Amino acid sequence: MRWFETPDFNFLKAHKIGYVVSGILLAAALIGILTKGLQYGIDFKGGKTFVLQFEDPVEVQDIRSELAEPLGGAPEVKFYGSPEEVLIRTDNPDDITTVQNAITGAMGQLYPDNPNQVIKTDIVGPRFAEDLKRGAVNAIIFALIVIFIYILIRFKDWTYSAGAVAALFHDVLIVLGVFTLLSDIVPFSLQIDQAIIAAFLTIVGYSLNDTVVVFDRIRENSLLYKTMDYDEMINKSLNDTLSRTVITSVTTFFVVAVLFLFGGEVLRGFSFALMLGVVIGTYSSLFIASSMVIELNKRQQKS
Amino acid sequence: MQGNGTKIGFIVAFLAMSVYYLWPTIANTLEQNYIEDLPEAERTEYVEENAQRLQNLREESLSLGLDLQGGMHVTLEVGTPQLILELAGDYADETLEEVINIADQRALENNTDFIEEMVTVFEEKYPDARLSRYYRSDAQDITRRSSNEEIEEYLKNQRDSAVDRAMEIIRTRVDRYGVTEPAIFVQGNNRVVVELPGVANKERIRDLLKGTARLEFRLTATPDQISNARERVVNYYSELASDTTDTTLQQNNGQNPLTQVLATQTRNAYSFGYAAGRDTARVNELLQRSEVQDLMPRNVQLMWGASPFSETPQGQELFELIGVRPEAEMTGEVIEEASVNFDEATNQPRVSMNMDSEGARQWSRITGANIGKPIAIVLDGYVYSYPNVESKIASGRSSISGLENVQEAEDLVNILLSGALPASLEIIEERTVGATLGEASIQAGFYSTLIGLIIVAIFMIIYYHAGGAIADLALLLNIIFILGILAAFNATLTLPGIAGIVLTIGMAVDANVLIFDRIREEQRTGKTLRAAIDGGYSNAMSAIVDANVTTFFVGIILYSFGVGPIKGFAVTLMAGIVASLFSAIVITRVVVDYLTQEKSAEISFG
Repeated sequence: MRWFETPDFNFLKAHKIGYVVSGILLAAALIGILTKGLQYGIDFKGGKTFVLQFEDPVEVQDIRSELAEPLGGAPEVKFYGSPEEVLIRTDNPDDITTVQNAITGAMGQLYPDNPNQVIKTDIVGPRFAEDLKRGAVNAIIFALIVIFIYILIRFKDWTYSAGAVAALFHDVLIVLGVFTLLSDIVPFSLQIDQAIIAAFLTIVGYSLNDTVVVFDRIRENSLLYKTMDYDEMINKSLNDTLSRTVITSVTTFFVVAVLFLFGGEVLRGFSFALMLGVVIGTYSSLFIASSMVIELNKRQQKS
Repeated sequence: MQGNGTKIGFIVAFLAMSVYYLWPTIANTLEQNYIEDLPEAERTEYVEENAQRLQNLREESLSLGLDLQGGMHVTLEVGTPQLILELAGDYADETLEEVINIADQRALENNTDFIEEMVTVFEEKYPDARLSRYYRSDAQDITRRSSNEEIEEYLKNQRDSAVDRAMEIIRTRVDRYGVTEPAIFVQGNNRVVVELPGVANKERIRDLLKGTARLEFRLTATPDQISNARERVVNYYSELASDTTDTTLQQNNGQNPLTQVLATQTRNAYSFGYAAGRDTARVNELLQRSEVQDLMPRNVQLMWGASPFSETPQGQELFELIGVRPEAEMTGEVIEEASVNFDEATNQPRVSMNMDSEGARQWSRITGANIGKPIAIVLDGYVYSYPNVESKIASGRSSISGLENVQEAEDLVNILLSGALPASLEIIEERTVGATLGEASIQAGFYSTLIGLIIVAIFMIIYYHAGGAIADLALLLNIIFILGILAAFNATLTLPGIAGIVLTIGMAVDANVLIFDRIREEQRTGKTLRAAIDGGYSNAMSAIVDANVTTFFVGIILYSFGVGPIKGFAVTLMAGIVASLFSAIVITRVVVDYLTQEKSAEISFG
């Protein structure tokens, strides 16, 4: 089987469309983030979450109102993968044991014939949450710096570094925007926690992987076809590597989708981020990273 | 073909090593399945007979994270500001307290070291003074003349040793609790992380970890002092109840807010009153008011009884509030031995303690001087009992009764013997996963890996024909290598770790995709199969290296910033990159070379 045997797409023309598409996506992401704010999970906000497993299906709405009084304010209540399991998040500052007893006590009253058990708890203190958040921000900044330097060393041209890092910002911002906009719509948690940061860094790694392969071919072709027009040479490089780009993205997307479907609730948000990341990362490698290099090069030559 | 011998040697060695490190895991799984299938009666016998061997197998197996086997993860923070204040002892004053409070705030905001901030704050506020005024001590080689740097050094050492000691104490407590394979380690400069696989009783663990075990023997306040105090406080709230302008006490309908929750018809002369368990927090809140504090006589402190003395007909447990002296006559450091036994009269569990000779001397003096009066035994701020002293006790023996059950008595002995914690410990993070959820996660992870593997394998064969089949073989070995590397490095497999393996499956074929696509390209230029293969492998190499090195960097960064499961993900990601590079480049090359030995050989890359 062969896809893209000898492809001859005009990516340079498509770059214009790419700018429009990316512009719209980025604007939507930014608006979403600015208006709704990032939806932090307890890792970065602090608080207590409890996952309760009931024997029979329950109603999220009933649980929320039943808990409002004992917890002093209605907690966040969501289904956790199935109608028998719910996740309860509260900021109640009391002792862990007290809060848990209040919850199980109230549930015993609400559902006397539907016993429950606590299958998972996460408690993060506000100071610790602050530390985790700082750690995450540092990790992302550090990753971007390391990548910038590595590409600078390997390709000896800052425009490549800048192109790659711009593409990474583009990818992460869009995924972050989708997370923020969809967080209330999808039936699973899209709150930003440590696992999501890990997913973001993996997206960064993946998107970069893709971008670097294209750059590598540009570097090779620039030596082979010295007389070729710069834009044309980049277009050729994108076409040369297109088959590989698509195949790898397809296989990676397959397995991440499997993880999303069968990996369990704990990994749902994580694998969702990766799914988005693979699609957007592939797109940005083809339409954003190299066009950034072209633009930057043009500017450099003009000045 | 030159060099293929070496390559094959490498592959065999790598594979052998992986299998060697994975063997205990495989054997352990087989054993566990065997044990599960045994009939109930034979099972116990078999486990007992092979206890040592089974334990060895378990210890050498690839360990599963708490998210996969269920358990509890707790991060405790040693309260440094409090420790630093306590170290100043009698020299501490309001100035020092203020400096500590500001430093604590700054350390939090700037994410800096608390002790360094404290020195800075002190120097800013009091440029002419020295910290040594608070911390001079001949025993510690610091004197009045010590510079602030020396004091900083001293305080840091004190903190480090407090953290070390906290860790040791926690280890002793946890070991006695009997958790298999607990992990206890220091994180940063003031945190202790405790990982307890398979723990079900979270509450007991929390008490065990946080129990500071500050044992005190205190005299009770006199009956007059207690009744006076009660009268004043009750009167204060009676007056306040009729004052409708005070909004903090709204919805009392003119009733006394204190007597609503606290019964003042007392059990005996030393008790201030009693309340139902759920009301104790409210009582504390009312008694904490600064106006009330001012009304309390200086030599009376109120403390709750540790266990309920009675129950209401509705099943509400009642706790007593006891008036004791604010200062301790003696503290628990004198305790040398402690054990659980039973009160002969009531058959209730109690903890008997033996004091060292100095303690026995003091105890004899204290009991001798207070015959006929009660002495309160206070642990971590709760009164366990306040028995009347019948006669002078010279033996240095004492006991704590009023314990709920044998388990509590055992935990108390454990805490007493492991020693008091050097500073307060606060649980700042706690995560627990139930065993059933863990099992479900393993299954989910296993099936995801399997399904992902099958889909990618089929896709590769369809797309690259024989080449795809070779890549699949490499992929299979790749997974064995990853698991082998994890086992060899004693890494813990977590759910995100499994996600890392699944992700690696998708990305692992990337190197082969790069190579095979390149071979196809070379073939299109009219090269012979052998030449195309050579060109494919060598030309794809730089792209493969660049792509993987960058992802590997991300792995390193994730590893150094992440905690817990994220670390597990980073480790598998890195192991996956190393293993997949080896399989994709070396293994497939050997197979491809072998299949194309004959000049006329045909091999299809789709």
